[in-house]
Amino acid sequence: MLRRTLASNWFYVVLMIALIVLPHAIGWVSGDSPFGVRGRPVGQSIYWQGILIEVFVLAVLAMSYNLVFGFTGVISFGHALFFGVGGYILGIVLEYTDLTGEVGLLIGIGLTLIVSAVLGLVIGLVTLRLRGVYFAMFTLAVAEMFYIFFSRLALTRAEDGFALTELPVWIDPTRSRLTFYYIALALLAVTFLFIRRLIFSPTGAVLLAVRENEERARTIGFDTLRFKLLAITVAGMIASLAGLIQVILNKKVGPEVLNVSNTIDPLLMTIIGGAGTFTGPVIGAAGLHLGDRLLRDLVIEVGGASIDIGANWALILGIVFILVVLVFPYGIVGTFRRWRTRQAK
Amino acid sequence: MQENILLETRDLRKAFGGLIAVDGVSVKVAQGSMHSIIGPNGAGKTTFFNLLTGNHAATSGNVLYKGQDITHLPLHRRAHLGIGRSFQITNIFPNLTVLENVRLAAQALGGDNYRLFRRADSFQRYIQRARQVIDLVGLNAETLLPATVLPHGGKRKLELAILLASDPELLLLDEPTAGMASEQVPELIQTIDRVRRQGGKTIIMVEHNMSVVMGVSDRITVMNQGRLLAEGTPAEIAANKTVQSVYLGELYGDLNEAAGGSHGV
Repeated sequence: MLRRTLASNWFYVVLMIALIVLPHAIGWVSGDSPFGVRGRPVGQSIYWQGILIEVFVLAVLAMSYNLVFGFTGVISFGHALFFGVGGYILGIVLEYTDLTGEVGLLIGIGLTLIVSAVLGLVIGLVTLRLRGVYFAMFTLAVAEMFYIFFSRLALTRAEDGFALTELPVWIDPTRSRLTFYYIALALLAVTFLFIRRLIFSPTGAVLLAVRENEERARTIGFDTLRFKLLAITVAGMIASLAGLIQVILNKKVGPEVLNVSNTIDPLLMTIIGGAGTFTGPVIGAAGLHLGDRLLRDLVIEVGGASIDIGANWALILGIVFILVVLVFPYGIVGTFRRWRTRQAK
Repeated sequence: MQENILLETRDLRKAFGGLIAVDGVSVKVAQGSMHSIIGPNGAGKTTFFNLLTGNHAATSGNVLYKGQDITHLPLHRRAHLGIGRSFQITNIFPNLTVLENVRLAAQALGGDNYRLFRRADSFQRYIQRARQVIDLVGLNAETLLPATVLPHGGKRKLELAILLASDPELLLLDEPTAGMASEQVPELIQTIDRVRRQGGKTIIMVEHNMSVVMGVSDRITVMNQGRLLAEGTPAEIAANKTVQSVYLGELYGDLNEAAGGSHGV
């Protein structure tokens, strides 16, 4: 059983082992310890761990978005709300209570999950009866409302936000980055397995049915509102955990976590990678974020003119997006899979 | 004539703004019967049908199923009472396989919809049921194809299979042969008739194709301009002068089709 599972998923197993070994490999090649240099969080390995943690965060966020968009067929523009809520709740718990260290962290995580679930249920119940674009607009409005409130309220320290200074040492990314790297990697792996499990379950089958043809799904007896609610709530909880990792990495929570880019980015990553596929959002997240990081400082000379890639990143991303939609209408993974099934026939 | 009434409408009305599509229609459908609804284009057949299925909300009047008022019951709750429907315009899950299309319908009423941590394909009873129904409509060879690649006739069969998979007591068929090649029509109608006789089902069928209706119906309701024009056995309807005068053009057309075989869209 285990052997068969490993054999049919060899790609994921190899990738996982590679990601576990990677910080050490970078450390070995560069000579900078993966634990930091002279007790300080510097060096090549630490730097790349930070970037990869960001990739994992975005991948988890994109996977959660894909659960709603790609598998259930519901277009939400309010996903940033769930992402941001995670960070803010941890910030509020650490700032306003005497809870610190592990206790504060655990209560922060617990509250994050509860609040994001409640938010998902409430927003879903109020808005899911709306169809298509109206639903999308409403979720955008709700998320923007939170963004504006949180960037002005004294309770949330307005534009400043909170610095997360009272984290336990073992998770503090400036003191124990490698541990934190593995925590983020674990979240990525668990999310991936969880979503796959869910989609292959009878419940997941109904989500696909809702995506394919909601009217028919209702006619054969599914209370589709419940299933959409379930998808939004579960996805919201996953997104809030991604947000939590992000703010712990930055050791800071501010209104930027609620920014609409945290909705648009996972949307683009999902479409580019392949909506409704398991690996698509991960590939999309890795591709876009690594592309951004690697090309940020690149300046290329073309016929005497120098083009600053970093400064024009949004433009390049736009072109990439148009090309992907034209060349890979089902995203990279989706188009590849269709191509392979055609070859097999 | 003391029969067991399975479904009844009382003075059912549906208005779209100023347009009254269904105007006070009262019909009784006996258990185990095949009851057809016919009428010229725009007679309100499909709207009336959608009131029975719950796709439209009635403006006034009632729909009773086994004596229970279901006028305002949502779609999915009607399915749980044993009411199933098919659609005139094929309404399937296009990117799922034929098997998965039918399996979903078998799963829908089975009570395992919230089993998040078991694989859907570990529930053999739904798969068996799906294969059984696929066999019945004759789609065995296409079981693992995505539904979207089926030819039109195949999609019509799949439409019927999805309906049959949940084993409803009352089957509402909206032009089951719509757009099918005429040589395939008798086969599909025979399948429907077999299902009814073997399973003791009640069927309400909206049909445009007169020749289809005459052969298999126990009773026929004729609608015109939103109202009930006539009701009776096929022989009574065929002999009815009012029906003939209102329906003559259509009837001629359909009889010609039945004879000539060029069945339109």
